[in-house]
Amino acid sequence: MINQSDKHSLSSGEGWGKATSLSSGEGRNEVLHLSNLSFKHGKIDVFSNLNWIVKKGENWALGGVSGSGKTALAKAIIGDLDVAGSVETNFDLTSSLRPETLYVESWYQFKNVEGVANFYYQQRYTSQQAKETLTVNAELAHFGKEKSLNLSDTKSLINALGFAELSNSQLIELSSGEHKKLQLVKALWLQPQLLIIDQPYTGLDAASRKNLNRLLDNAAEKGTTLILISNDEELPSCVNRYAAIANGKLKILDSAPSSDFAEADLQRELPKFLKQAPVYQSEQIAKMVNVNISYGNKKVLKNINWEVKAGEKWLLQGHNGSGKSTLLSLINGDHPQSYANELYLFGKKRGSGESIWDIKQHIGLISPEFHWYFDSNATVWESVASGLYDSVGLFARLPYSKAKQVDETVEYFGLTDCKNERLANLPLGKQRLVLLARTVIKNPELLILDEPCQGLDKAQTEYFNHLVSELSQHGMTIIYVGHFEAQLPKCLSKKLVLSHGEVIKNENIIKEDKAKDSTVTVQF
Amino acid sequence: MANYFNTLPLREQLNQLGVCDFMDNAEFLDGVEALKGKKIVIVGCGAQGLNQGLNLRDSGLDVSYALRKEAIEAKRDSWKNATENNFKVGTYEELIPNADVVVNLTPDKQHTSVVNAVMPLMKKGATLLYSHGFNIVEEGMQIRKDLTVIMVAPKCPGSEVRAEYVRGFGVPTLIAVHPENDPEGKGLAQAKAYCVGTGGHRAGVLKSSFVAEVKSDLMGEQTILCGLLQTGSILSFDKMVEKGIDAGYASKLVQYGVEVITEALKHGGVSGMMDRLSNAAKLKAFEVSEELKDIMRPLFQKHQDDIMSGEFSRTMMEDWANGDKNLLAWRAETGETAFEKTPAGDVKIGEQEYFDNYLLMVAFVRAGVELAFETMVEAGIKPESAYYESLHETPLIANTIARKKLFEMNRVISDTAEYGCYLFDQACKPLLGDFMKKVDVDLVGKNFNEGKDGSVDNAELVRVNEILRNHPVEIVGTKLRKAMTAMKAIKTA
Repeated sequence: MINQSDKHSLSSGEGWGKATSLSSGEGRNEVLHLSNLSFKHGKIDVFSNLNWIVKKGENWALGGVSGSGKTALAKAIIGDLDVAGSVETNFDLTSSLRPETLYVESWYQFKNVEGVANFYYQQRYTSQQAKETLTVNAELAHFGKEKSLNLSDTKSLINALGFAELSNSQLIELSSGEHKKLQLVKALWLQPQLLIIDQPYTGLDAASRKNLNRLLDNAAEKGTTLILISNDEELPSCVNRYAAIANGKLKILDSAPSSDFAEADLQRELPKFLKQAPVYQSEQIAKMVNVNISYGNKKVLKNINWEVKAGEKWLLQGHNGSGKSTLLSLINGDHPQSYANELYLFGKKRGSGESIWDIKQHIGLISPEFHWYFDSNATVWESVASGLYDSVGLFARLPYSKAKQVDETVEYFGLTDCKNERLANLPLGKQRLVLLARTVIKNPELLILDEPCQGLDKAQTEYFNHLVSELSQHGMTIIYVGHFEAQLPKCLSKKLVLSHGEVIKNENIIKEDKAKDSTVTVQF
Repeated sequence: MANYFNTLPLREQLNQLGVCDFMDNAEFLDGVEALKGKKIVIVGCGAQGLNQGLNLRDSGLDVSYALRKEAIEAKRDSWKNATENNFKVGTYEELIPNADVVVNLTPDKQHTSVVNAVMPLMKKGATLLYSHGFNIVEEGMQIRKDLTVIMVAPKCPGSEVRAEYVRGFGVPTLIAVHPENDPEGKGLAQAKAYCVGTGGHRAGVLKSSFVAEVKSDLMGEQTILCGLLQTGSILSFDKMVEKGIDAGYASKLVQYGVEVITEALKHGGVSGMMDRLSNAAKLKAFEVSEELKDIMRPLFQKHQDDIMSGEFSRTMMEDWANGDKNLLAWRAETGETAFEKTPAGDVKIGEQEYFDNYLLMVAFVRAGVELAFETMVEAGIKPESAYYESLHETPLIANTIARKKLFEMNRVISDTAEYGCYLFDQACKPLLGDFMKKVDVDLVGKNFNEGKDGSVDNAELVRVNEILRNHPVEIVGTKLRKAMTAMKAIKTA
């Protein structure tokens, strides 16, 4: 029996969906049955006649290069996407688990209390008495009421994900990793029979990843069928089936999807303007003296002392909520409380008559939150070009030499084919590449890369890290935030670690095994 | 205090009404120089106060906030907004005497008492900055002759002023210098620098006068912006319910419809909005809106006349003195309408459906925008000013209705706008009584194109398109919109 999934509209835009079907004799063991699924994006076949059977007791990891159609497939399963073919789900009505499919989106677009999602990047650093968004507690209470769940059941989940401190925080104040945790808490709390999680680990620190795997194993043990869309290798032990989407078909794999399915096309040469050393105005990039940041009684940064000098390559680490983004916002001129602290940027004391645009012209920045709030209506080319003016979206007409620079950078990042597409039409990984290209377009003195490779596939990550290393050879200063050692560029030589708003390590990175590892695996 | 405008001879009245100059980018090359190192003290820290202050400080200027002693002692929201963002805060006595520029960003109604408290403390030769001219023009406030008086009025809510600035852009802004108070001739340079400090210079700046700003602002908000949107929304909802359309659907169509429809207005003007309809529906909307224009023209003219003569502000200030008796009664009445009390239904309405099933609102918007614009221009206001106060602001107000219906619109707009909106609404509804009797669900609630073959007469379509595209509001709109093409869509629906 075929039953097209029936999209159940909960709070719209949240990405929770439900597919239903009657159980039939043959497929009793099947939780999900996709047959001959086809979907086109514009003129391109995203998948054609794709078939997939997910059986009870199976938990899948679904991989594939960026743009291969993983998210589209998940959306087809919950009925959020108009596809040809059939989607059949089969639930056990005697089970205590919810007879429904839940899809956790890679990114969650929250709204303010008036139903508008018109936020801007710097908003979370500004104190405003008129509260615009719900608190985490209120959001959970709202969800629990809608789904008739018991709020006290969230406690252990919240603790396991290290989320308790944030219960009274407003949604606007959360980082991308914290938003991910909120969505995971909701999903595990609901206990659906089929749970699809798109990029479960993005933005999570190492400890939270481990805890999440434990929680997912528990859920699987209780009978939830998992589909994890991820190219990560540290999957929960319950995952026993592997697949990837390639050329519009589902390819069953023997083991975790790894980089071998992705081949990087990497013979491009760095544009000439990026081979030149940036022009430094001052030896001193940033200096903080006993910097403190707090919201009401909540201290976010405590007595921070840190100095970054021209040409240094820093790694910045810390658990989710340790204060990394706030620290970087001070350097990027985005934090209103900069004015009350002793802070020097590019040789000048902050608050001595400079504008934020004077500061930003020295910096190329990317972060998950910046991406989140970026204007997705801008085209690829405009987005890259806007980096020249530090604006979100392009408002100026470029002189010939600058336009050429944009063309070269777009080409270098392999984006020429889609240069006139709007960001909103591209997969997240590709959008991220666009914003990475935007960070280097000025050949800036300082690159701030806050989890730059989140959402990229392996080839893209290697590609980008290689670029960072190459740029660093020409003298660019770098501050890099990354949770996973395996994904870091090799040029980083100094490390600052934050914990609960305090510096716990400020040291040189010892490069014992760097020597052995120095052969670059990807040839340019 | 006497109405300032009424003290002027006719020639000077026309002269000040006619100040209107869309400024070239080159006028702003000096950046914030004219205010660099000067002490800017903002009075009031609500949405406009806080967000303008954040922008000015991020542009390298010296900003602090003067609040009333009680607000500081009670740690009111204004005090928290300022201190938690690390601004210096003090009483009037502490901060005003050293201020080079005092920025009055309190609500209209408080202007007289605030200016009376602040003026004696201001140092010789300082500048007083307003963002609305009501106090000067309608209340006739007299400012000490050594002080410079300027206006900088961003044409968007405070949150947008900030959001657009940090994106690297700005919101359209109107600036003016009061001719009675420019003893050193520095007013314009300071107004321009302030505009750069808030980012307004990147989105189009209109040089206006206090008089032109007040007389056009009042007219726009009372008629097309708030008054007509309110009347049109309530009449549309009631008609649908009367004709048996599901109330939840009707409520959603009305609540979000104005936003979707005026979003097209924002990008392509009246003709862009009309182009969203099929040819047959466009001809119908044209015919209906022509009829609406004829019916409502005398009412628009009465509002403009009362604004020009000062009659409007006189009666409103009487109500202020009377403890807002009328305002509060009318506000309560609006809260009781069936539209307000019916929640939007849980139904999906596609973007195009808002046009096809709500042709009546398209007709209302065209009639209102064109009438307001025509009436203002006839009264001596220049087309650029009239454009800002009619077409430009309509989508912004429609957005507030989408958020929380008319109650929200009336909460967000100033008390002055709210008072004028009710005046208009009460006169307009009976005026449209006979017209509404003829309206059926093909104009509101159901798809106009349903059951029709869609054919139109070529010559007729060409004629109508030509009339729509050659209206003066379209000519001036095309020029002004070029300066702000990059404004981000604010969407709820």
